[in-house]
Amino acid sequence: MSAQTPSAPGIATAEAAAYARFDTVTSRWGRITMLSGLILSLSGPLYLVLGTDLDVTWSELLTGFAAVAAVFGVIWVVEVITYYPVLGPAATYQAFMIGNIANKLLPSAIVAQATIGAKPGTRRAELAAVMAICGAAIVHILSLLIFVGFLGTWLLSIMPESVTDVARLYIFPAIIGAVIVQLAMYVRSVRILLVALGVAVLVQIVLVPQLGTTFKNFATAIVVLLTMTLAWFLRDRSATHDDALPTAHPPQES
Amino acid sequence: MGDLASYANSLVLWAIALGVFAVIILQSIIYMRAAAEAGPDLGFTRQDLRASLRSGGVAAIGPSMAVVIVAIALLALFGTPAVLVRIGLVGSAATETSSANLAAGTMGAELGGSGWTPEVFTVAFFAMAFSGGMWMVSALILTPLLKRGDSHLRNVNPALMAVVPSAALLGAFASLGVAELPKSSLNVVAVLVSAAIMGLCLALAKALRADWLKEWGLGFAILGALVVAYMVHHGTGLGPV
Repeated sequence: MSAQTPSAPGIATAEAAAYARFDTVTSRWGRITMLSGLILSLSGPLYLVLGTDLDVTWSELLTGFAAVAAVFGVIWVVEVITYYPVLGPAATYQAFMIGNIANKLLPSAIVAQATIGAKPGTRRAELAAVMAICGAAIVHILSLLIFVGFLGTWLLSIMPESVTDVARLYIFPAIIGAVIVQLAMYVRSVRILLVALGVAVLVQIVLVPQLGTTFKNFATAIVVLLTMTLAWFLRDRSATHDDALPTAHPPQES
Repeated sequence: MGDLASYANSLVLWAIALGVFAVIILQSIIYMRAAAEAGPDLGFTRQDLRASLRSGGVAAIGPSMAVVIVAIALLALFGTPAVLVRIGLVGSAATETSSANLAAGTMGAELGGSGWTPEVFTVAFFAMAFSGGMWMVSALILTPLLKRGDSHLRNVNPALMAVVPSAALLGAFASLGVAELPKSSLNVVAVLVSAAIMGLCLALAKALRADWLKEWGLGFAILGALVVAYMVHHGTGLGPV
C-alpha cells in the first residue's frame, strides 16, 4: 500500500507515517462526525413523534419504514461498495453524509485532481479529492442556507396558495418522469428498462387493483425484486464487465 | 395546511437542520487540517491544497444551484428544515420523495393531497430519515471492512454489481412512475412533460456538449411539469380536486 521505493527508504517512511496520521485522524473523526450527523438527522422525526401532540403509532411508523426498506434495502449496501474505490475511506465518511455524490461530489473531486495534475490512485489524488469535497461541502451549505433557507422560505410565504397547492399535489409526478429518463440514459440497457417498465405495469396496473392494501403497500418492493431477478436471468451474457466498476454504475444521487 | 406547516417548520426542526450543517462544517475543518498536516510529506503542497479546495468548490456551484431549484419546489410539501436535511444534504430528491410517497401510501394517503396531514407527514419524514440513515449505517459498517480489503466484498461478481443496482433503481422508479398514471389525467400529463423535458435536456447536452444541462435537467423538468400542471389544473379542472 505505501509507495515504498528501495532507493529512498527514508522518504518512504516519512510518507507512510504522514499518511497513517491522516488516515487515523480522518477515520476517527469521520466516524464521529458521521455518527453525529446520523443521530441528528433521526432526531427530527423522533421529535415530532415523541415531543409533540401528534398521534402517530409505532406500528404506523414501522410499516412506513418497512415499505421503504423493502425498496431501497439493496441500494443502501451496494452504493457504499460501489463508490468506495473512487472515494477512499476518508471521503466515504464525507460523501454519505453530504449527499448528492454522483452529481456533485465526484465531478468536484475529478476537477480538483485534474487541476493539480494528480494521477488517480495516488495519495495526492486522494488528498485532492478530500479537499475538493470540503470545498464542495462549503459551497453547497452556503447556497442551501441562503437560497433555500432564507430566500426559498420567503418566496414560499409570498406565493399564492393556488401555486403552492399545485406544487404540493404534482411535485411527485413532476420529479419521477424525469428521474426515470435520467436513470435509463445512465444505465444504457434497453433490456433492463423494458423489464422494469413491463413488471411495473403488470404489478401496479393489473395486480394492485385486484389484490388489496397490503399488496399495494409493498407493490414497489415486489417490482424491485422481480426486476432484479428477471434482469439477472435475462442479462446480456456476451457483455464483459471488467470495467463495470465503478463508472458503469448509474449515478444515483445519494 | 397551516397546521402542517407549524409542525414542519417548527423551531426544533430548524435547530436540528442547522446542527447537521454544523456537523458537516466541523468535519470539513478537521479534514482540511489533517490534509494540511500530512500533505507536505505526501507531495501535496500548500498550493495543491488551496487549488483543490477552490476548484472543488467552484465545480460545485452549478450542481448546488441545480439542487437549490429542486429543493425550493419541494418546500411547500415538506417545509424548510426537512427539505434542507433530506433533499439538500444526505439524500436526493428522487430517493427521498420516493420514500415519502411509499410511506404516505401505507397510511392510505397521497403526497400533498387532502390526506396529507401532520400525522402522515411525520410517518413520511420518519421513513425518509431512517431509510436515509441506513446509507450512513452502511458506510459506517462497510468502510472499515473495505479498508481491510475484505475479500468477500472485493470479489463480488462484477456482472452482478453491474446488473443488480441498475435493475433495483429502475424497478423502483418505474414502479412509482407507473403508479402515478391511474391517479388522474393530470398526473399522466405531469409525468410525461417531466420525462420529455429531461429527454430534451439530455439530448441537447449531448448535441451541444453542454454538461451543465445534465445537472439542470431535473430542475427544468420539475418547473416545466409544474407550470403545465398549474395551467391545466386551473384552466380545465382535469385534476383530482
